[in-house]
Amino acid sequence: MSAEESQEGLATVGLTKAFGGVTALDAATVSFQHGKVNALIGPNGSGKTTFFNCVTGMIRPDSGRATYRGRDITGKPPHRIARAGIGRSFQLCRVFPRMTVLDNLLVGARPGNLAAQLAGARKREEVERARGWLTRMGIEHLENAEARNLSWGQQKLLELAGVLMSDPDLILLDEPAGGVNPALIDRICDLVRELNAEGRTFLIVEHNMDMVMSLSDHVVVFDRGRPIAEGPPSVIQSDERVLGAYLGV
Amino acid sequence: MPRGSEALRRSGRFLRLGALLAGIAVALSFPSFVPSPYELTVGIAILNYAVLSTSWNFVGGFTGYISLGHGAFAGLGAYGTGLLVTKAELPSFAALFAAAALVAVLAVPVGYAALRVRGASFVIVSIALVLILLLVFQSWASFTGGSRGLVVPRPFPGMLRAEHHEVFYFLFLALLAVALLAWWIIDRSRFGMGLKAIREDEDKAQSLGTPTYTYKLVVFVVSATFTALAGGLYGLWFGDLDPVFQFSILSGSYMVLMALLGGVRHLYGPLLGAVIVGYGLEYSKVEYGDTPLHLVFAGLLLGVVVMFMPDGVIPAVTGLVARVFRTGETSIREVTAAELRAEREADAPDTPSERRTDDQPDGKREVRQ
Repeated sequence: MSAEESQEGLATVGLTKAFGGVTALDAATVSFQHGKVNALIGPNGSGKTTFFNCVTGMIRPDSGRATYRGRDITGKPPHRIARAGIGRSFQLCRVFPRMTVLDNLLVGARPGNLAAQLAGARKREEVERARGWLTRMGIEHLENAEARNLSWGQQKLLELAGVLMSDPDLILLDEPAGGVNPALIDRICDLVRELNAEGRTFLIVEHNMDMVMSLSDHVVVFDRGRPIAEGPPSVIQSDERVLGAYLGV
Repeated sequence: MPRGSEALRRSGRFLRLGALLAGIAVALSFPSFVPSPYELTVGIAILNYAVLSTSWNFVGGFTGYISLGHGAFAGLGAYGTGLLVTKAELPSFAALFAAAALVAVLAVPVGYAALRVRGASFVIVSIALVLILLLVFQSWASFTGGSRGLVVPRPFPGMLRAEHHEVFYFLFLALLAVALLAWWIIDRSRFGMGLKAIREDEDKAQSLGTPTYTYKLVVFVVSATFTALAGGLYGLWFGDLDPVFQFSILSGSYMVLMALLGGVRHLYGPLLGAVIVGYGLEYSKVEYGDTPLHLVFAGLLLGVVVMFMPDGVIPAVTGLVARVFRTGETSIREVTAAELRAEREADAPDTPSERRTDDQPDGKREVRQ
């Protein structure tokens, strides 16, 4: 693979999705940098989450195409896209509430053939891998607790650990700082930087501008279902269109 | 993992093994100490319910999809077996397995359509399946016997009635054992982990790479097949099929009630529910004859379960036991930063680690963030 090709990460061309009369995504053509921390920002209702849902297969776009590393992923089912190396967290974190923390991770373990499917779920190497991620998140002491008994912040970390368990190259985080205390935000930022340094690409939707500006290499701004600006954080902060979209001036 | 819980788990395993062996011994010796063949038929009816609700629990327990239409698969298994014996003149047990195989094949398109919708919509679709089949089997009298019913020849013509019951008691017991074994294997497998993830949050499971639709369809077919085997075996035992009873929402509802009562997350939940509800139904049928009082009983029981034991008897009882011994579940309490600092200072000389769990004197575990 040439150097240019490897630069090509997640990209969309003319991605469109309407709900009834509301056009959530309006021919969005955008690309994100592979190997970097990308951010997707924009006012509420600008189509960020719909964009996430379209590129992860949760909803099917009306038209347009999405590609990841040159492969067409438009309209593919979510589990295929996950296996292609795209992991995601959900806005308002989602875990499996009545499964233990360890089992929450084992759901994302590597798939196997038919025999492996019927073999025991707690395969030693997968359990070790899961414990590794839990330790990294600092929640390894909770492995036998039911996920619903964890605090909000712990659930956020658990969700991230679960996504990492499926070993994605690209991680989509939908508002990772939502409802989280400042100390944990720092912790999540550190984790993102570390994981990025280890070669994982990030695409983050976030309203916390301090976090976005300090964390990301590349920022894309959405307004009314399409990108209106993109560039490094320093440029975006002073872009008039961005200020207009956010402040309505 | 705390050491105390390891010892507890080991003793729990012994206890469970002992209970299992005792249960098997009771089940195997039951026919030899019943006073009359009537009690044996009650035992068979209960075993039949147990197989049905365990079969239902492959879908209901693992994926959380509540099917009220599983009676359809039991009915198809029964009629399939009966028709293959009478029309195709297959040997009884060849007909039973052939009918189950046919139901498995039929369950693929049914599941393909029904599993596209979730929640209440799935319940409605499953009910529709029973009602459609009821109409078909009632109206197509030239083939199915219609409302007059279908007589299924006995597999062992020369056999005395008491002996006949005894054979079928053990056949149902064997089928129950196979169904429980299959449920247990899936429960501990990766496949089962995926199914339980579907129950918890289907979209999330899929976003982690679980092929949810395939998983649901496979377990739906497994469930339908076991249900059909139970229905077919019932047909061979009872010998007389009536579409009104075979394709009734009631039979599906009983499966749900029994599984919910015992606990859908537990291997033996549906079995326990079948023993309680099955015995209750048989008892009220004897005591109150043809009055619909057994339906009142079932309805009340469902209400009690939903209100007071939403997870079923097994979790309710184990929860109670755990509370008495105060060792079972992990309890999590968050501590404030100040408390944490104070404790850390107190612990500082010998325990440098920041995060750790303690075995508290009262046996509860505390967890810090």
